[in-house]
Amino acid sequence: MIDGYKRLMNLEEPPAKKTAKGFFTDTSLCIGCKACEVACKQWNQLPADGFAITGKSYDNTGHLGATTWRHVQFIEQAKANGRRQEQRWLMMSDVCKHCANAACLEACPTGALVRTEFDTVYVQQDICNGCGFCVPACPFGVIDRVPKESTFEVGTAHKCTLCYDRLKDDMTPACAKSCPTASIQFGDVEELQVRARERLGELRARGESTARLYGMPEGKEAQEVGPLHAFFLLLDRPAAYNLPEVPRLPRKTMAERYGWSAAVGIGFAMVAALVFRGGRR
Amino acid sequence: MTEQAIPSPSGGGQGGGLGGYYDYPVVRRPVWTWEVPAYFWLGGMGAGAFVTASLAQTFGSAEDRRIAADGYYLAAGSLLPCAPLLIADLGRSDRFHHMLRIFKPLSPMNLGAWTLTAFTPIAVARAASHAADSGLLRGPLRVLAGLVPRRLTELTGSLLGLTLAGYSGVLLGATNVPLWAKSKLLGGVFMASALSSGSAAVTLQAARRGAPEATLHRLAALESAASLGEMAIVAAYLRQSGRTARPLTTGRFAAPFWLGAVGAGSVLPLLLHRFTRRHHGRTLRSLSTAAALCTIAGSLALRWSIFEAGKDSSEDQAASFDLSKA
Repeated sequence: MIDGYKRLMNLEEPPAKKTAKGFFTDTSLCIGCKACEVACKQWNQLPADGFAITGKSYDNTGHLGATTWRHVQFIEQAKANGRRQEQRWLMMSDVCKHCANAACLEACPTGALVRTEFDTVYVQQDICNGCGFCVPACPFGVIDRVPKESTFEVGTAHKCTLCYDRLKDDMTPACAKSCPTASIQFGDVEELQVRARERLGELRARGESTARLYGMPEGKEAQEVGPLHAFFLLLDRPAAYNLPEVPRLPRKTMAERYGWSAAVGIGFAMVAALVFRGGRR
Repeated sequence: MTEQAIPSPSGGGQGGGLGGYYDYPVVRRPVWTWEVPAYFWLGGMGAGAFVTASLAQTFGSAEDRRIAADGYYLAAGSLLPCAPLLIADLGRSDRFHHMLRIFKPLSPMNLGAWTLTAFTPIAVARAASHAADSGLLRGPLRVLAGLVPRRLTELTGSLLGLTLAGYSGVLLGATNVPLWAKSKLLGGVFMASALSSGSAAVTLQAARRGAPEATLHRLAALESAASLGEMAIVAAYLRQSGRTARPLTTGRFAAPFWLGAVGAGSVLPLLLHRFTRRHHGRTLRSLSTAAALCTIAGSLALRWSIFEAGKDSSEDQAASFDLSKA
């Protein structure tokens, strides 16, 4: 009977599960060349965002969005060292984190957002109806909806697909392929995690005392959204990179929110019952 | 050579010592437009009117039942524009039905779409049976409307109505927009606003139809209780939100919030209802009508100001860091 239902509904068998794939973005190696941004736009045929100049730094992209799935930050830091001011530049190629517990996926009312066989989070463009709920649900501000007046996949939500089409053909995602310094590393998540721990040890040994990993299973950032399948090696606090300390998963507080709502509803019903009863003799 | 302070993207912010990347927002600005608060307001009021009418059917006197049943007309009338509003706000309106291709109560958006889809026909059916009872329908339509099981529609409709009235605030709360998510009470705030505006709508119609004074007094008592409850939960919501509530309590949404939502929506109706106790006849009807109109307008102001201020709050980097601090 289930087979008959599947035939009737034209349901495909989901592809067999494969090993989880992801990115390890080592910001200590990033030189801010933005090759990843360009390669991503080219491969995924994403339109340009116009010539907006932020006037703040060499980062004129500003943030991830519906048609920007890699974004290179230029973080200029100055600190006083005696009478001299020392400066350093932190660069970081930001991307969708492909969370183990993805807020966007849980928010999605249509089932357009799915987990693929590579354990990545993917928006099915033929299902999404552009309800926009995933946009504020994401704690990282990644996913966005294309404006209705855009010419690109009008009105639906978009974000990094981890080059799902390339993964299907055993190819490396465009950004990792184009990265000239191996700041963006692609591979099996478990293997990348081992590599990240080694790299952190190396940097710590060299005196980079503020280096840390962001998105590992043991990190506090994984408390709610789970390990990030696109995780990072950072050289400063997460906030310096506009990353939340503990990204919130809306599901965690939903029962309490419904509870307060129900309490008010029940309270009103009780008062109304009393008031109307008072009119009966 | 004088040393100049270099503008720094981190360290100089106001994020409680958690200076971020320039002043760039952490989360994305919600893409929703005016249709959403309009839908929350109308849907909430319709649900509130249905619930009030149904409670009157169960607990009220014959007179109260007759008067309050007009609430079913108001419910049907408020709910019918809701689906079009919701559909208009979609990026792909032609795909509204994709909301209903799965049942996923984990997503408040999915739960709300199903609730609205189920509740609207129930409210329309109950309104039709009321029309049949009061002789507005004739012929086969009257026979058909007479078949509607009243108690069952009242019960299921009330449960669905309470869900519709409350889920909207939970939906906004189930995001990472600081103003909506910081306090867990927004679902309660919207529920209170829906029920007070719904019962106000019933009062409005009752005053118009020349309801007995005793009924108007009872409705005034119910509305006063609803307004008091609403003020209490809004106060608790603001207290829990703390600095996060600034886009709502100061700046461009301060006037619609304080004067509209709180002033016109709760304080003014409470004062007017205090006067209704001592008055009769036309004065009583005018005061009841004025109080009800204030409550309904205040309910719209509440949804609209919290909705719009939430968009600004999404760009408040410090508030985002506060929401996500360990």
